[in-house]
This record gives sequence, structure tokens and C-alpha cells, in this order.
Amino acid sequence: MITSLPESPRAEAFLRVQRWRDVQESAEWRLTRHFFRAMFDFGVLTEAGADSLRHMMLGAIGGIVTFGLLLTRVLVGRYIQLGRYPTGEPYRQAMLGDDMLIIGLPMLFAAVMTLLVSDSLFPDERDFRILGPLPIRRSTVFATKLAGLLLFAGLCIAVAHAAMLPWVLLSSVNRWLDHNMLLRLVAWLIASVGASYFAVFTVCAVVGLLVLTLSGGRRQSIGALMKSAVFAGLVLCIPLVLQVPSVGTLLAARSPWLAAVPPAWFLGLQRTLVGRADGTLLWLAAAAIAGVIVVGLITVGTYVLLFRHFERLVLKPADAEAGARSSRRRLFRSRGAPAFHAIAGFTLTTLARSQLHQSVLVGLSMFGIGVAFNSLIGATPRSLARLPYWAPLLLVIVGGAAIRLSLSFPLQHRANWIFKMTEDPATRRDQFRAVDWIVAAWVAGPPAALSFVLWWVATGHPAFVEAAIVGLLGLISVHWVLRDWWRIPFTCSYLPGKRFVAYSAMVGFFLCAFFMIASTGLIVVARSNARLAIAIILALTLVAWLLRRSRFAVWRRTPLMFEDELPDQAVQLHL
Amino acid sequence: MSSPEDAHLASVSERLQVAVSPKPESQAESARTSRAERAGFEARGLTKRYGAFLALDRVDFQIRRGEILGYLGPNGSGKSTTVNTMVGLMEPSAGSLWLDGVRMLEDPVAYKRRIGYVPEEPYLYTHLTAPEYLMLVGRLRGLTEPVLAEKVPAFLQLLSLWESRYATMAAYSKGMRQRVLLAAALIHNPDLLVLDEPFSGLDVPAGLLFRTLLRLFASGDRMVLFSTHRFDMVEQLCSRVVILSRGRIVAEHDVASFKESSSPSLEDVFVRSTGQDDFTPLARQILSLVQQR
Repeated sequence: MITSLPESPRAEAFLRVQRWRDVQESAEWRLTRHFFRAMFDFGVLTEAGADSLRHMMLGAIGGIVTFGLLLTRVLVGRYIQLGRYPTGEPYRQAMLGDDMLIIGLPMLFAAVMTLLVSDSLFPDERDFRILGPLPIRRSTVFATKLAGLLLFAGLCIAVAHAAMLPWVLLSSVNRWLDHNMLLRLVAWLIASVGASYFAVFTVCAVVGLLVLTLSGGRRQSIGALMKSAVFAGLVLCIPLVLQVPSVGTLLAARSPWLAAVPPAWFLGLQRTLVGRADGTLLWLAAAAIAGVIVVGLITVGTYVLLFRHFERLVLKPADAEAGARSSRRRLFRSRGAPAFHAIAGFTLTTLARSQLHQSVLVGLSMFGIGVAFNSLIGATPRSLARLPYWAPLLLVIVGGAAIRLSLSFPLQHRANWIFKMTEDPATRRDQFRAVDWIVAAWVAGPPAALSFVLWWVATGHPAFVEAAIVGLLGLISVHWVLRDWWRIPFTCSYLPGKRFVAYSAMVGFFLCAFFMIASTGLIVVARSNARLAIAIILALTLVAWLLRRSRFAVWRRTPLMFEDELPDQAVQLHL
Repeated sequence: MSSPEDAHLASVSERLQVAVSPKPESQAESARTSRAERAGFEARGLTKRYGAFLALDRVDFQIRRGEILGYLGPNGSGKSTTVNTMVGLMEPSAGSLWLDGVRMLEDPVAYKRRIGYVPEEPYLYTHLTAPEYLMLVGRLRGLTEPVLAEKVPAFLQLLSLWESRYATMAAYSKGMRQRVLLAAALIHNPDLLVLDEPFSGLDVPAGLLFRTLLRLFASGDRMVLFSTHRFDMVEQLCSRVVILSRGRIVAEHDVASFKESSSPSLEDVFVRSTGQDDFTPLARQILSLVQQR
């Protein structure tokens, strides 16, 4: 019927539309769309939460646009200055670092986004159970899952490159540019998109190897830990990547260390494509191509192996012995209040097994450590001497924000009926005590340990006083972390961005600045005099104890919260 | 119950009942029991509104000690609302719930402590293993570690979950999850067991086991509310049945009366009470739709 239409341009257009409709109605297209959409669904937010997230995202976009304009103003000034030099060498050297950053940032973004959806990268047991009974070939499921992943990765990569484009154009309009601008744009696109796909395939390869090698039970726990480790590494790179432009000299000197920096490989590829590569850059370009091929092959190989041995690899039973060891240790060792152990066990198990919660906790906390590492690069002796003062305090702040956010995200919201049914004012104190204990351990423990180590390295002797002060400041900040906290971890719906983003950022900045300055002052005073140090420790202990007491008094009389609520305007502005 | 399999199921049920109630009854408990004999559970004028929609309209019913009460009704009749109100997950708009002569609102915590609940959908924390979930529930119910150390493995063994004890419940079938929920509902030895379609997803032996267990449980002077769509289950298991339609109780009968040859069947009573029409024309319409090319 369609083929009988006369061959006119209109008929051709009609046929094209018809073919496109046929494609849209095909099972392949529908499945691809389903898998693509599933990448954006973390299953955490309720409808109200999704609305709230949209509002927050709009606020955040406003902030990013403002920051982008400011950055553009700074960059314009920089490139004008580089154009004014009598020779092109400063410009070329700066461009080496800048181009590496322009390639590295989308790489990082693509890798982080892929890791966030790492549970949906390969067909899993759920797909098997839901799609298995339907008349769909397994090859279709695999192909559409891969297509969904490629679409998702493509979208992330496109967004990242669209954001980088103004910078590339800005850096290209310079009298010292020694090649064609269009060629530079094309070379950048090829190298940078290749770099981003390299990042995506690297994450896929790591996750694929975990899927292939670990059994069901281990996959959840070890897999979550491995992914969190990769995520932590990527987050550590965020502040470090900003140091890339300052390593222009390293690039100019063609240091062998560049082989360990993947963005440098793709910089080599870009320089090769524009015809400005020497021996080292050519070698780096070869590494880039080899890297893409290797991780691409591992990803495709994982898909092929999973396709051929799906039942054996994905539906394999949990490793009984491994489970036996860990479960036996955990199950019957607890003493004390049952309610305390119920919540402590539930929280720690969830943090150990839930990829999302672990990523939020580890990722945000690592950001603080990354900032500290970042400051070590090119640091002067004076700035190095300041590090033990502020780095542990920064960890208190980011660790507090990370654990609050992680415990706030719900998990299987509809399963919380068991907590509603068993709510009891008599045991509520013990339930909150468990939350308090976990938060205190996270917020005070690692910063105190870091302080101890840093001061030991800096002064050459164990620093008990400094570590104690940092630990006590961490215990005090638990009160800030658990303000308005009336929920069992992971059981309450979550509304992100309950206050204006700009308002929250401003208040947060001033509070953190105050905390850092006041706390550093306390450490300085404590280091100057032993009696004052004891007095400070005693005073901080008293404050921490009083705050804890007041928290528990409030918790004892406040019912548990299971539905998050937006604050009204009066509360929002603290009027 | 004469075949060897039935005898085996009965013995497992008895062992399960031991797992449910391992402690000898104290003097206080027996005093409580004697008082309860007079009262049992009672819902008086139970009403629930969602805005303008009336989900439950002055519902009254009783569950006597030792009784399994069937709670029948079509979809949307208010069964789940009744169940959610009974177990304390939802507050009634009006009316009251009484357990052993004590009003729920006087001490809702003590009330909830005496209730076990198996929801219709197996909403569980599927990242936990079955023993971890049972430990969590047991601890939330205030059971001590030695008691849990004894009960949890026993429940897992008796409910055929022992082999899967190291796998997280994400890998469990619906029937396995229902078994975990039943164990969680019984672990604290409740007085009143509220079951919302508990047999969905269970295989035949597990269904037989549960039926025997519920009979033994109720015969130990406890109460069971059995909310379901299935007439056969009500006829086999329950002593009385309450039929709900559009939020109101439209019939209440002793199940034994349906077994008399002269009486109408439960299905007939249900269809008549809930005003359900003859389904033949509708079924014909569906079939013609199925056959349409």
C-alpha cells in the first residue's frame, strides 16, 4: 500500500515519516527508550521530591550561569593578556594546560555520571525476570540496553562539550594560534569526545569485570565498595583537575609522568590531529587510541559473555561461605538495648550495601580530602604549615554534610511500615542514640585521626591535644548535622532544596567560615599554653555534652517523621 | 489431614507454634487472657475519610479469642483501609478500636505491640538478608538477643528459608518474601494476627502449612483477621466472615452455615450482598475482544 505511492518528493517525505513511525513503534525503540529513561530514575524521590528537585536544579542552574559569566570574564582577560606578549610561547604553553583541562572536565563528568547509573549498565536479574516471559529475543534486550547506555553517555558528553565550547572558542581567537581555528575545533571534538567515551567505557569495564567475577552475594557488597572506591577516586580528581593548567611546564618538558594522566593522552591526540605533535605527543596519542580500544573491547566482551552465559553469570547463587562469615559475625554479637542495635545494624548494613547512599557519603567526604590534596600541589612552606589547622576542620564540615545527606535519602520507602508499626516513645531514645553514634563516629573520628597524623608529620611528635580538640569540635558539630532530625535513616521521603539554593549557600558559607576561624583560633591558643589547652578541652567537652543532652531531650518527646515537609516562609527565613 | 505429607505439615506447624510461643504463660498473662476472653478485638463505628471520599462508613465487627475472622470484599471496598487502621498505620476519622476491653488510643504502643501484620504486597528492605530482617524486626519489637538467637534460625529452618539465608531478599520470590513477612509478624508472639491476602505467591505446600499454622495459632486463644478475595480460603479456614462493600459491612455470617446443603453458598451470599451483577455478559465481551483480529 505504501510502496504503491507515486515517487514524488511529497510521497518520499510521507514514506520517511511512516518509516520513522514504524521505528518508534518497534519493540527495539520502546525498550531503548525505557532503558534510557531508567538511567535517570534512582528510585529515591517521591513525586513531591521530584518537584522539589526540579526547583533546586533551576536555582543551581542560575548559580552556575552566574559563575560561568564570571569565569568567562576572567578568561577573556587572561587570553587578551596572552595575546599581548611579544612571542607566542607563553600562549602555547598556557594552551597545553588549558586544552588538557578542557578535555579532562568532560571526561570526569562522563565518568561520574556513568558510575552513578552503574547498576543499569548491563542487563540484570530484574530485566531477565520482567522481559524473559515476553516475546522479546535476548539479543534485543542486550542491544537495546547497550543503545540506552550509549544514548545516555552521548547526552552527558554532548552537554559537557556544549558547556566547554565557549571556552574553546575564546581560547582559539588569538593571534598566536598557529593552526586553522576550524581544524582546532574538529580536533578538539574528536579528541575530547573520544576521551569522554574512554571514561565511560573504563567505568563500564570495571563494573563489567565485577559482574563477571563476583557471585550474587559478593557482587552487592564488594561491588558497592569497589564502585565507591572508583567514585572516591573520581571525586578526588575534581579539585585536582583544576590544577591542570598549572602543569603546563610539565607538559612543555614532556615529562614521562604524563603517561599516567589519561587527559594528557587525548591532548596528544588533539595535537597530532592538528599536525603539531612531537615524539612524546605522538606516543600519548597512540596510548589514547589503544586505551579506547582496550576498554571498548572489555565492555563489548562483557556484553558478549553475559549474553552467552547469562543464567550462569547473573543468576548464580550467593557465595554461601562468604555470607556465612560476615552474617555470623554480625547477627548474634549485640548486647544492650535492642532498639539501638536494630537501627545501628540497619544503618550500617544499608551504608555498606546501597550504592547510592555509599556514593553520596564517600563522594562528598572525599571532596574535602581532595581540596586538602589540591592545596599540597605547588604549596609554599608557609601554606603547608597551615594545612594541619584547617584540613581536619574541613573534613568535619564536608563529612557532616555528607552523612546528613546520605542518611536522608530514602530506601524502599514503602517498606518503612515496620518502623511505623513499632514506634515506641520508650525506645525512641535508643533508636536516635544509634543515629547519633554513627554520625559522631563519622564526623569526629576521621578528622581527629587526620589531625593527629598531620600534626605528627608537621611537628615530629604525637599531637594528642590537637586531635582531641578536633574530635570534640566534631562532636559539637554533630548537633548541627542532626538539627531537625526526627527520622530513622533512609525511611523518610526526601525533598531536596527545601530552601533557596543561594540562601543555603550563603548561610552555609558564613557558618563554615565562622567555624573554621573560631576553631583554628582555639587550636592556636591551645598550642600556646598547656593550661589553656586543658581548659579548652574541658569547655568543649562540656558544650558537646550539653548539646547532646538537649538533643536527646527533644528526641524523647518528638514523634518519628516519615514524610518530609517543606518549611514555610517564616521558618525558611528564621523570622 | 490423613496423608503422610499432611501429617508432616501438621508436625512442622506445631513446631512453628512452639517457635512462636516458647515462654510458659505467666500469672499476669493468664489474668490478661481471662479478661480478653470477655472482650477480644472490637471495631466500633470505624470511619475513614479521604477528603470527600468515604472509604469506611461506621464499620462494626468483633473478633473473639480463638477465632479466625474472614474479611471479604471486592476491590476498593475498604478492606485495606480497615487493615491499615487496625494495625495502626492509619488513624481513623471516627470510631474506635478495642483490644481486650482497652481502647487503642489509650495506649497505642501497647496495642501495636500485641499485633502481628502481614501486608498484601511484600514491602521489605530487599538489601537485607532474611535473618537480618528478622533480627531488625525482633529488635524493634524489643526481643532480647538470646531469644532472637533462638527464634530467627528456627523460623528460617521451619519456613524453608535456611538455604537462602545468605542471599539478600532482592533475589527472593514473592512466596519467599511472604514467608519472611509471616515470620516477622509472628516473631513477637502477638495476640492478634492481621493478614492481608497472605497466600498470594505461596506454593501449594507452603499454603497448606500456613493454613494449618493459622488454625493452630488461633486455637491457642489468639485472634486472626484474614482479609482476602478467596472464598475457598475463607470457607476452609475461618469460623466467621464479614463482607464489606463500598466501605460498609453488608453481611456477617458463621462459615459453618454455608456448609449446610440447604443454605446458599458463600459466593452466592457475597454476590447478593455486594450487589455484583451477573458477570456472564461482561465475560462474553472480554472474550470477544480477545478473539478480535
